[in-house]
Amino acid sequence: MNKIAIELVVNGRTREATVPPRMLLSDFIRQELALPGTHVGCEHGVCGACTILVDGEAVRACLMFAAQADGAELTTIEGYGTGDTLHPIQQAFWEEHGLQCGFCTPGMLAAAHELLSETPDPTDDQIREAISGNLCRCTGYEYIIDAIRSAGKKLRAQQAEDALQSA
Amino acid sequence: MDHLKTNIIPPSRQRETARAGMTWIGQSIKRVEDPRILAGKGGYVDDVVVPGMAHAAMVSSPHAHARIVSIDTAKAKALPGVIGVYTGEDLATVVDPCPSFASPPVTQHAMCIDKVRHVGEVVAAVVAEDRYIAEDAAALIEVEYEVLPANVDIEASLEAEGDAVLHPADRESNRALDESFSFGPVEEDFAGADRVIKRRLRWHRSSGTAIETCGVVAQYDAFKGGYTIHANTNFYNFIPFVIGGSLRVSPGELRLIPVLTGGSFGSKVFIHKIIILTAALARLSGVPVKYIEDRLEHFTNSDSHGSDRLYDCEMAVMNDGTFKSLRFTVLDDYGAYFQFGVGTHGNAMAQVTGPYRIESFAMRVIAVLTNKCQQGPYRGFGSEVTNWVMERMVDAAAEELGRDPVALREQNMIQPDEFPYMITTGNIYDSGNFQEVLAQAKSLFDLDAWKAKAAAARAEGRCVGVGVATCMERSVYGPTEWWFLNNKEQPGFTLTSTPEGISARFDPSGKLFVTLNSCMVGTSPETVVTQVLAERLTVAPEDIVFNYADSQTGFNGVGPQGSRFTAMVAGACITASIRLEEKLMRFGAHLLQRRVEDLELRNGSVAVKGGLEDQAKTFAEIALMSSFFRLSFPDEEEYDSGLETTAVYDHPISAEPDPDRKHLGIFYPIVGHICHMAAVEVDPETGKVEILDYAAVHDNGTIVNPRTLGGQVWGGTANGIGTTLTEQFVYDATGQFTNPNFAEFALPSAHEMPKNLKLGHVETPSPYTEYGIKGGGEGGRLGAPSALTTAIEDALRDKGVTISALPVTPPVLRGLIREAEAASLAAE
Amino acid sequence: MKPAPFDYHRPGDLQGVLALLATHDGASIIAGGQSLVPMMNYRLAQPDHLIDINRVAGLDYIREEGDALVIGALARHHAVHASPLVAQHLPLVAHAYEWIAHRAVRNRGTLCGNLCHADPASEMPAIMQVLETQMVLARDGSTREVPAVGYFVGPYETQRDDDEMLVEVRIPKSARGTGWGFEEVSMRKGDYAWAAVACTLRVVDGALADVRVAAAGVDDAALRLTSLEAALTGQAPAAGLFQDAAGEAAAGLDPPASAAVTSEYKRDLVRALVPRVLAAAVDRAR
Repeated sequence: MNKIAIELVVNGRTREATVPPRMLLSDFIRQELALPGTHVGCEHGVCGACTILVDGEAVRACLMFAAQADGAELTTIEGYGTGDTLHPIQQAFWEEHGLQCGFCTPGMLAAAHELLSETPDPTDDQIREAISGNLCRCTGYEYIIDAIRSAGKKLRAQQAEDALQSA
Repeated sequence: MDHLKTNIIPPSRQRETARAGMTWIGQSIKRVEDPRILAGKGGYVDDVVVPGMAHAAMVSSPHAHARIVSIDTAKAKALPGVIGVYTGEDLATVVDPCPSFASPPVTQHAMCIDKVRHVGEVVAAVVAEDRYIAEDAAALIEVEYEVLPANVDIEASLEAEGDAVLHPADRESNRALDESFSFGPVEEDFAGADRVIKRRLRWHRSSGTAIETCGVVAQYDAFKGGYTIHANTNFYNFIPFVIGGSLRVSPGELRLIPVLTGGSFGSKVFIHKIIILTAALARLSGVPVKYIEDRLEHFTNSDSHGSDRLYDCEMAVMNDGTFKSLRFTVLDDYGAYFQFGVGTHGNAMAQVTGPYRIESFAMRVIAVLTNKCQQGPYRGFGSEVTNWVMERMVDAAAEELGRDPVALREQNMIQPDEFPYMITTGNIYDSGNFQEVLAQAKSLFDLDAWKAKAAAARAEGRCVGVGVATCMERSVYGPTEWWFLNNKEQPGFTLTSTPEGISARFDPSGKLFVTLNSCMVGTSPETVVTQVLAERLTVAPEDIVFNYADSQTGFNGVGPQGSRFTAMVAGACITASIRLEEKLMRFGAHLLQRRVEDLELRNGSVAVKGGLEDQAKTFAEIALMSSFFRLSFPDEEEYDSGLETTAVYDHPISAEPDPDRKHLGIFYPIVGHICHMAAVEVDPETGKVEILDYAAVHDNGTIVNPRTLGGQVWGGTANGIGTTLTEQFVYDATGQFTNPNFAEFALPSAHEMPKNLKLGHVETPSPYTEYGIKGGGEGGRLGAPSALTTAIEDALRDKGVTISALPVTPPVLRGLIREAEAASLAAE
Repeated sequence: MKPAPFDYHRPGDLQGVLALLATHDGASIIAGGQSLVPMMNYRLAQPDHLIDINRVAGLDYIREEGDALVIGALARHHAVHASPLVAQHLPLVAHAYEWIAHRAVRNRGTLCGNLCHADPASEMPAIMQVLETQMVLARDGSTREVPAVGYFVGPYETQRDDDEMLVEVRIPKSARGTGWGFEEVSMRKGDYAWAAVACTLRVVDGALADVRVAAAGVDDAALRLTSLEAALTGQAPAAGLFQDAAGEAAAGLDPPASAAVTSEYKRDLVRALVPRVLAAAVDRAR
């Protein structure tokens, strides 16, 4: 079993490692990089708790090998906000009670990021579709949908403000 | 109801009543718990890393029932990176069997010794440097089995003999318990009834299936305190007392450290088996061991499967619609072990007659052992099933009497002036206004309009229907009934008041440090405590800081289960507030040079009643003085340094069962009420159900936080939708578990939830709890199955489909439609 | 649930992939890995060698070549779903993707990988048969084309040999006036199909022509319902005709049952879905 040297950018920081090929990306992030915010719920690609952004796209970290992430740019739940402020999507989840136990939340946030980056003003049906691959056992999804709708509003307002300031 | 005469309702010990215009109680404040979780820093069990930690992997039984002939671990032991390989016999050198609440118990070992009794049971374990290597080694272990007959069918298992008996040393047959309970004049009521409605009803198994599995990190040091264990159990303050015996240590040598838990829904209440297992591996291997169930292990071996029951049910009614009595025989498939006895049936007897006046009730419960994973708690703890059974029987009665099902319910409902109302089993319903809940639901859902729409759609040949359920949501459990459930010779259970405590301390800067004795499982313990303390003490929410005690530094706490935590911890908060107020006032009075009677708590300060801002001392000022400057106060004991207290709240109103077993006592008295209404459309060709509209109105007494209660309602409703439409653990005839994965065991996704949920609340305060708070953690699942079942049946009314079993997955429902179509063709 | 050990290869060009396939027994190609990695985590798949094609440049194309769209081995489901070319020329494919898995899986998974995995309950193997797709298989030194009809031979089994790679699929553009339909029933939206039916057809002078219907989830592999097609061809579209034909098609099937789903139910679904897709296709053909 050969080992693979990889270099990748995780939450803005360049990381280098040598990994066994079979090491799942989810384990690499949690154990080697000590970023436990990415959760492992099923390891067969259905629950979505481990979903992170790989080069801006939502991806199941349990269905990728760390070796495959060589050269990629990853964002995990630890990387959405800054050190001491929550990202507007996280803030919206807080305000709308979009989480209970929080175990599905990292994946929900990744799905929400991808959706809102492409569709800033999504319909509720689009929100449902975007999170349909992320299982939540606590919320019944209702307030998660509220949270993503509200996050869209926040981000649009922020963009409008940024545009105004740059003008 | 003569049999209830010995059951006296104790007076209320309530200190804080519900009142209008409260500052914090009733506000949807943002949860205190959330920012750290949203930042990815929650601290779940798999996030725990201790120096030198190794990882365990299990060898699981592929057979439902087999004798273990031999286990060859040589190849596994030789694999580089392996620290140790252990079998059940190795484990037995350091542990005894698992604890059991059944009496007499059914023996369960954390790791099988002689036999395997269901697929997924652990037969050997590997401890290795990482989980990958541990699994490699586990795959190298060779186990030889002698396959025994598998018991899968609930009725057939009762007839099993010889090698098919699961526990020949403990029970001669697979009948774990067969007990009958009777309350009130059942025989008379049935004899005098105009009609007896009969139904056979089936409820299949599923489970809480939290997105986080169960896990443990265990350390053992013979010279330093024994076991130190992180585990995502709900019940960490109690666990040492029930597993100390298994681990052959005193509870004091067993330190349980709580972690943030990724969902429970009952499924993580104890998880004692894997705690014992992992602890034993740590002791045997001499290194700290982490074991996190993988998804397959959680499905097959979590000891938390939900109810799996077959009812033969009878209801005695009069032709005018009056309900008289209810009785049933229920077979419950408990799986291979019997950890809680028939506790789920005791729980259900808290509200088994629903919101209706039914003056007698009888039940025979036969607990059946089969070769499946054993039952444990799941949101409702058995009451979700009896709610559904009750509502099915009411709908059946309406059908047979030709009555409108809602009107029939209204006719039999307990009236608002009848509370506290003692039901025939001896439990009381503390308060309620079922009529108002129903009225609000009718208007929120627009029931009349939906009935008309459904009828119009049916006239066009579409299958649209409406369902209404009016159910109880018992809360704040006090498990005195447990004593009653085991057989009479060996009740084996002592009564408890299920205490819940907090400690609270103003530090010298005026921050209020609160230590909880119950963990966070997705509930909102910190938020609840913040709101109650802020209300009672006028302390600012941002000045409250939380810690969680471990089992050695903490004290009484029972945790989130039985919809008890909010009401119980509120009681502890009030006790703590009263004591802290007394101290604040005393120190404040001295600093302000006023009499205590002239002072009040106001905006985080002790202030002169009606006085100006400068006639006040903030809690921070008082805390600083009382903590550091003792000599500024009189030389009397009551001015000793510090502002802190420890407060425990015992169950506010429980009463013991009747010693002659005529009633169960008061054990689950703080009752909520719920009304769910659903409109559905069925595609009769495919059996697919679409939920067109959905409304839920809940009465959970005084609401602490409407938004978090709403989250509980919709989360529970989602569970109920799954229970009704998509979720079932399917074991085949050989005892193989056919769908132990998230692809085939289908939790509802966002697509399966109704798009237009409507939520309403009625607030009928409890006269017994502080502020009148009731629990609300289970209601969604206690109501949704009934409303949906009725709606589906209504949608298929023209086809003559009757639903007697859940879930009605599309293949099941299509099967019912096919049968009904064939029957109607045959009739023509 | 951790995969067994394997050797990992990540060739930079197609020739490197084919050379590795030629020289290594027990090798698996990984593209998106959305079906393979779950099986590896369960240790149901234990390849000795994993050949990662994600570093091969230029395999993610979706392009027009004459009357066909050609989709390369690394084109992700999401890229196919979102492609304007696909929307224009293969509306059936674009529509069916609404039913296939979820975004995170579509982001990573590939169409060609899905067709190699050949799950009998997967939708695209049926759709490719309806569209008369050609599968382009390459091995070290040679290339062959195999029609999608006949390519899927059993559960997780295709005509692809172990040393071959599906390098692209060539899908004929839907001709003008071609109507299409797709319906699926599964437990949840995004799950594998209990049954899915896809079709294309034309209506020429009031009669059905070029009728192609395929189903997934109802046999050991996705399959064309050829006798159904024959029964419909030349007939005037009518609800009764569709129902009768669907009934016959269903009766001719012996779908594998599982503990949760009976064969009878799957036949019911064929009976229900076939008329719906035909009616939708006729509507679109007009």
